[in-house]
Amino acid sequence: MILPVEVMVGAVRGGTSILYAALGETVSERAGVINLGTEGCMLVGALTGYAVTASTGNPWVGVLAGAVAGGLLALVHAILVLSRGANQLATGLVVLFLGLGLTSLFGAAYVGRSINAFKPVGIPGLSSIPGVGDVLFNHDPLTYLSYLAGPAVWWLLYRSRPGLILRAAGERQEVLAAYGHSPLRVRYLAVVAGGALAGIGGAQLSTAYANAWFENMTQGRGFIAVALVIFAAWHPIRAVWGAYLFGAALALSPALQARGYGFNQFALDAIPYVVTIGVLVFLGRRRAHAAPEGLRKVFEMSGT
Amino acid sequence: MNLDAARLARGAGRLALAYAAALVLFGAFVVTKGANPIQMYGDMWRSTVLNGTSIGQVLVKASPLILAGLAVAVPAKAGLVNVGGEGQVIMGAVAAGGVALALDGTLPGGVMVVVMMLAAATAGGLWAGLAAVLRLTVRVNEAITTLLLNYVAIDLLLYLIYQPWKDKFGSGQPATRALAVAARLPLIGTSKVHAGFVIAVVATAVIFALLRWTSWGFRLRVVGGNAEAARRAGLPVSALLISAMVVGGALAGLGGMVHFAGAEFKLRPGMTLNFGYIAFLAAWLARHDPLKVAGAAVLLALIAIGGDSLQLDSGLPAAAVNVLMGLVLVAVMGRGQTTRRSPKVAGIPAVAS
Amino acid sequence: MSLLTEEVAAPTIEGEPLLAVRDLTVRFGEVVANDSVNFEVRAGEVHALLGENGAGKSTLMKLIYGVNKPDSGELHFGGSPVRIDSPAAARRLGIGMVFQDLRLVPALTVAENVALALPLKGIRLDRAGLVRRIEEAADHFGLACDPSALVRHLSIGERQRVEILKVLMAGAKLVILDEPTSVLAPQEVDALFAGLRQLRARGLSVVIITHKLHEARAIADRVSVLRGGKMVLVAADPTAHDDRSLIEAMVGRTVPALPATRPSPRAAATPALELHGVSANGDGGHLALQDVDLVIASGELVGVAGVSGNGQRELYEVALGLRELAGGRVVVAGTDLSGGGPRAAIEAGGVGIPEDPVADAVVPGLSVAEHMALADLKSVRRGFGIDWAKVRSRLAGLDEQTGLRMAGAGRKVADLSGGNIQRVILTRALGSDARLVVAAYPSRGLDVATTRRTQELLLERRAAGAGVLVISEDVDELLELSDRILVLHAGRVAGIVRPGEADRYDIGELMLQGAK
Repeated sequence: MILPVEVMVGAVRGGTSILYAALGETVSERAGVINLGTEGCMLVGALTGYAVTASTGNPWVGVLAGAVAGGLLALVHAILVLSRGANQLATGLVVLFLGLGLTSLFGAAYVGRSINAFKPVGIPGLSSIPGVGDVLFNHDPLTYLSYLAGPAVWWLLYRSRPGLILRAAGERQEVLAAYGHSPLRVRYLAVVAGGALAGIGGAQLSTAYANAWFENMTQGRGFIAVALVIFAAWHPIRAVWGAYLFGAALALSPALQARGYGFNQFALDAIPYVVTIGVLVFLGRRRAHAAPEGLRKVFEMSGT
Repeated sequence: MNLDAARLARGAGRLALAYAAALVLFGAFVVTKGANPIQMYGDMWRSTVLNGTSIGQVLVKASPLILAGLAVAVPAKAGLVNVGGEGQVIMGAVAAGGVALALDGTLPGGVMVVVMMLAAATAGGLWAGLAAVLRLTVRVNEAITTLLLNYVAIDLLLYLIYQPWKDKFGSGQPATRALAVAARLPLIGTSKVHAGFVIAVVATAVIFALLRWTSWGFRLRVVGGNAEAARRAGLPVSALLISAMVVGGALAGLGGMVHFAGAEFKLRPGMTLNFGYIAFLAAWLARHDPLKVAGAAVLLALIAIGGDSLQLDSGLPAAAVNVLMGLVLVAVMGRGQTTRRSPKVAGIPAVAS
Repeated sequence: MSLLTEEVAAPTIEGEPLLAVRDLTVRFGEVVANDSVNFEVRAGEVHALLGENGAGKSTLMKLIYGVNKPDSGELHFGGSPVRIDSPAAARRLGIGMVFQDLRLVPALTVAENVALALPLKGIRLDRAGLVRRIEEAADHFGLACDPSALVRHLSIGERQRVEILKVLMAGAKLVILDEPTSVLAPQEVDALFAGLRQLRARGLSVVIITHKLHEARAIADRVSVLRGGKMVLVAADPTAHDDRSLIEAMVGRTVPALPATRPSPRAAATPALELHGVSANGDGGHLALQDVDLVIASGELVGVAGVSGNGQRELYEVALGLRELAGGRVVVAGTDLSGGGPRAAIEAGGVGIPEDPVADAVVPGLSVAEHMALADLKSVRRGFGIDWAKVRSRLAGLDEQTGLRMAGAGRKVADLSGGNIQRVILTRALGSDARLVVAAYPSRGLDVATTRRTQELLLERRAAGAGVLVISEDVDELLELSDRILVLHAGRVAGIVRPGEADRYDIGELMLQGAK
């Protein structure tokens, strides 16, 4: 396979889990709550998805369970932030820690165990198109599902009534409250839904991408997803492209190494993070204005 | 007076309840793993508080945690969220390790310690300062950048110890050669506690005094409370923000050096044991009050050391103590506030004009 | 059609009131905000509710709208007793309220904002249907608006129109407007009132809260006056009362007149403020201030009039070194600020009273005394620390000198009300011996007596030789205080007039149309 195709295949393969998490975080942040614990939600999603697949033999049940687990962990974040008034950024890290701890406590038994994971399914006809077929149409079912996820989230946010209410909650909750809606409920739902999507992303990682569970297997993908949402200016479709961009950055290192380029692995491993910072630096000023009003308080101080 | 006392008592009661709830919940998790929670807590208690050697271990572990916790607290006073303790600790350790590799044996031990401290503080300060500069120039939120820089720092450490700095005469493990004995932090008296603990205690006192009594501390509080008001009062907001972040990063870097020259002696993968993150939680647990941060750091060090007994006595993975830490934090952060609630209902002021 | 000479129409419908309030009382802790209040509104009338700040007008209207709950008393709507325990309940009855801080989300379109306010069902948002309904309603009520425009891009007047339309589309028979004119220019007020007359013609009822007498006369069929929580005049015919008796009803005491003879400006001394060809960008990056030339002499008070958002904020900020210039020069008391920022302005002797003190001047967690130290850190420095004893003694002196009855030195600002926060800021700025005082809306949120004391203090600073720049939306206040009035329009100086030579209408024309 030529390098660009291999990297693009890797972009879709490696980007899918980030894509789910970034969409989830978009939903959450559009409602005005940032969840740095997305990483933790992905981890519990990954382990739960793996464990349930192992015991039921059905990866679909596993993914569903992963979504529930991610949502439940996000619920902890939601309770602390929304009902107890704790700092969003700090609480997010607490949630991350809970996720790390819980998955290492319960995950040890699943290290090295094999499961009936998702298999790549070529789409008849399309998968044999040279290049494009490999990039887009030779993946696991969760990846195909992710093609729909971006537009679906977009439609929900911008074309549906609940989406309008959700965005209003993230902008000016007092306006929403004035018309008899409960911004609190909307935000709870958004945070939990965001966690569930991150959980699906995690489950994709363990049951389709890696076919394995190991401690801390998300390796910062959740944080990248959070950064990606800013980079995408809180827009779901741009978040999808961003996810693939980072999937490509992740895929670049092994692809180059396989071709015998003498790059140091760790220098390449740092690329996604450096690229994220670089993109934020590059776009920072312009993107700041797109932030939901409710988030601006969390994100930046005035006048600096 | 009485009211205050009652409020304090209520606060303390809630705090105790929060800790108790965390312990009970963790016990429940442990039961599902087939271990006996009462026995587990007994083991943890015996192996930490009742054991002289373990107390030493706790203080050794607490030293970098205290420093990294202050590294969160100082920027927090200025309204900045430093989630980059981990990266700054690593950069401090890397700088100290680099100095050690370059100069080991050429300088007397005491001088080496000082040079390593300076190098570590500089490296940590620059690493954090980078995030502050990005915040001020291109408005990228420092919580995000410090977080991402953690991963960059980890990759940098791995790069160095897998290739250029790897000990060629070692066991083949990716690690640097050990720090010369003379350059290591001395032990205090006959204990197993190294001088890094003294450094941490002194740093706590200094930061406490700086924040409480100096004009710098006051200005940081103004900036943290309302940056626009600070700017309009003619304060050099950018310089203050950078100073807070750099001082924070320097403290974390110092923490890395203390851990390297006091406990590890080699740079190796995973050497920082999530110090930065745990310290972040300690700082939030203590609401950024320097003295309480030190206390919270010791408490979390205690839990972490207790975690080792989990592994030995109850057969649970050591990382499982993260659950206990997380639960303690959830309970403490989620407990009822003793400060009065704002009278606003759903954004509409209850008292009209 | 002039606002002052507009003839007041007689009430169109007599008989049973649409809304009747009987003996309503509400307390907030110790304070009785409404004390056995009686009030009524007929169908098809415009009813003005008069009263000074803090008289309990908003409280009463929020009771009717279901935001506040009464401690005792009754409400009747459409002839039968009702309990209104939430805004939703009020809306169901047909009561709508237009708040001063409009209930709009700037990031959403007009149509989306309307959708939030309507009891819609279902998942899909029928955007086309919504747009059609808005256009129909806009047509019906004569309130033109563009449904697909982002609210962020609308002027305050347009936003207000959207808000009224929204309330009407939700089925309101009674529309309550809370001080709707405070952010509008006189001519925009005329447009608003024309709209309100249309509503009246369709049989709808309007309650307008105001503290401006001439507005009540221009639009209201009947007026009621609240003072200190008590209704002192109920549903009276405004033509039966002269201005003097209405003012006495509102204020209950006579306010001392401002000194009529004032020392003349010291033209020979160094000017307090010089702006030479100053241009500056607004927050959005557009040119918000263009080629402004202004010299304020020592001992001169210059007022700034303009519809909000026409460069006042930027003018305030460039005068105090808070905003970068896109062109020109700013000189404070002889010192060129070029690039020196707020520090340079402060050192040259400039102080400010900002438009929004909570956002721009106070730190919630700090005490009153700490705020005093913040004004002048250098002079209270002791080694690396701060001489708090000195701060406190200075603060006591200031409080006595200004007589603004500031809260105690140890109180945290977070615990203070808006009015008390303003007192802290005013004491700090007006007690200093600054060469230049720049005040943006200095009397916002203050009662009549404190407003008058603030105006006196501004004149005292002027008499002491400081240059004073006062930005206000109250043209009457400016006419009373200023030596000259600068009118801003679209970031340019539309004109500089002397109070003796121009009236509110001349100024209003400049505010709206700019220089001819």
